[in-house]
Amino acid sequence: MVGLSVGEKRFIQGGIAQDLRSDGRKRLTYRPIYVETGVIPQANGSARVKMGATDVIACVKAELGRPSPLQPDKGKVAIFVDCSPTAEPTFEGRGAEELSAELSVALQRCLLGGRSGAGAGIDLSSLVITEGKVCWDLYIDGLVVSSDGNLLDALGAAIMAALSNTGIPRVLVAASASPDEEPEVDISDEEYLQFDTSGVPVIVTLTKVGRHYIVDATSEEESQMSSAVSISINRQGHICGLTKRGGAGLDPSIIVDMISVAKHVSEQLMNKLDSEISAAEADEDEL
Amino acid sequence: MEFVNPEGLRLDGRRAMEMRQLRAQIGAVSKADGSAVFEMGNTKVIAAVYGPREVQNRSQQMSDQALVRCEYSMANFSTGDRMRKPKGDRRSTELSLVIRQTMEACILTHLMPHSQIDIFVQVLQADGGTRSACINAATLALADAGIPMRDLVTSCSAGYLNNTSLLDLNYVEDSAGGPDVTVGILPTLDKVTLLQMDAKLPMDIFENVMQLAIEGCKAVANYIREVLQENTKQLEVRRGV
Repeated sequence: MVGLSVGEKRFIQGGIAQDLRSDGRKRLTYRPIYVETGVIPQANGSARVKMGATDVIACVKAELGRPSPLQPDKGKVAIFVDCSPTAEPTFEGRGAEELSAELSVALQRCLLGGRSGAGAGIDLSSLVITEGKVCWDLYIDGLVVSSDGNLLDALGAAIMAALSNTGIPRVLVAASASPDEEPEVDISDEEYLQFDTSGVPVIVTLTKVGRHYIVDATSEEESQMSSAVSISINRQGHICGLTKRGGAGLDPSIIVDMISVAKHVSEQLMNKLDSEISAAEADEDEL
Repeated sequence: MEFVNPEGLRLDGRRAMEMRQLRAQIGAVSKADGSAVFEMGNTKVIAAVYGPREVQNRSQQMSDQALVRCEYSMANFSTGDRMRKPKGDRRSTELSLVIRQTMEACILTHLMPHSQIDIFVQVLQADGGTRSACINAATLALADAGIPMRDLVTSCSAGYLNNTSLLDLNYVEDSAGGPDVTVGILPTLDKVTLLQMDAKLPMDIFENVMQLAIEGCKAVANYIREVLQENTKQLEVRRGV
C-alpha cells in the first residue's frame, strides 16, 4: 500500500499535468529497461526484465501433450503469474491471489487471443507435431520479484524476451502403422528450433491521472489513477488485446485517442526491447 | 548407483569435500528494507526483509520483543518438472518455521519491542540444499536491513553415500535416499542453532558428517563476511567517506 500525504498527491498530479513527473520523466517516457536472458537454465527459455524498481522473471517450459479435440491443429499455451511476497508484504499467504489472477487473465487476453485461438500473438499452429495426436504444451510462468507499478507491461516484455530465448527440441515422429495407434516420438536433445517471436505483441498501459495519461506509472502514480487501459500491439501495428482497469468511466473518444498514442509508443518500446534482447542474448553467448 | 567414482570425483565433478560455487548479491529487491540473492551452484534463492515496522495484527504484538515472521515460497519453474503447488503445503510450512526459528535465535529481538520483522524467501531454482541456501540468503538480507544480530547464521548440508562423507549435496545426491544432515551455526560464537537429519547413520560416522557440514558452514560464513565487507566499502565510497 502506498501511503501518501495530501501534498505528495498534489505534487504527483501537478507534475503529470505539467509533463514533468516526480522522477523527471515526461508523460510518455519509459523508465530504463534492463533485460537478462537465460536466468533459469532448467527451463526452455527464461528472461528477467527490470523497469526501474519493478523486477519480473518469465520462464517458458515446453512439454509434450495432446491437442484438444476441438482444435486438432493447434498447440496449447498456458500463462500463470505469481506474485512473490518479496515484492510486497501484503502478498503473503493468499494475499496476492487476486492480483495474480488478474494479471494472468490480462496476459492471456493480450497474448493468446480468444478461445478459438484466432488472432493470437503466439502462433499456436507452429506447436503442433502430429495433427490431432501430439503437440507442444507451452507453460509460461511469470514471477513478480519486486513491484513498483506497471507490472503488466513488464510481464509482457519478459514473456517476449523469454520466448525469443526459447529453444524447442526437434521431434521426430515415427510413422505408425495404423492411424489409431499412438505415434512414437523421439525428442532430440541436440537440435533446437528457435521460437518465432515476430508476432508476439508488446503491451502498453496508459494510466489516466487527472486529465492526462502516462505510460509506465510507478506505484505512487498508480495510486492516483482514475483508470488505466492496457493495449497489446504487434509489429504490424494491429491491436491484439485490450483491457481497461479502474472504476472511472472514459469517454469513447479518449479511448480512441489513447489507442493511437499507444500505437506510437509501442513502436519505440518494441525497438528498445529488440535491441535489449539481442544485447542480452549476446551477453549470454559470451559466458 | 555410483555417486563417487574410483578417482574420488562426484557426479558433477566435485571432490567429496568440495562445495558448489557460492555467489551472493546484496540489494536485489529495491523496495525491501534489506534483500539478497544467494546461489549455491544451481540453487538460487531471493530473500527480502521488511521491518522492523508496526505490527500488522495487533493481537500478535509483544511488549518485550519483536515479532519475527517468515514465509517460504517456491516458484512454479524452480524444479525440473513443472508443477503447480498450492501455497502453504506442509513442506513449505515446515521450512518457514525452521527458517523463522533459526533467524529468531540470532536477532536481538528484545531491542525492538512492539515491532515486527518479516522475512520472505523465494526459491527461483531448486537443486538440493534449498534449506541452507534460504538461511544464508536470509542472513544476508537481515544484515542488509541493518537489523541487530548476535552473529551471522550460516548453514550447509552434508551427506553420506558410497561410504564417503559428501559436502553440500545437490538434488541427485539428495534424492538418492542417503542421510542428509543440515546444520546451521553461529560462526563466531561457535554454536549450532539448526540440526536436522533423515535416514539412519552410525554414531561415529554421524559425528564425521556433522563436522564436515560445520566446516562447510564456516566456509559459507567467510564468504558472507567478504560480501558484506565489500558491500559496506561500496556504501562508504558512495557516501564519500
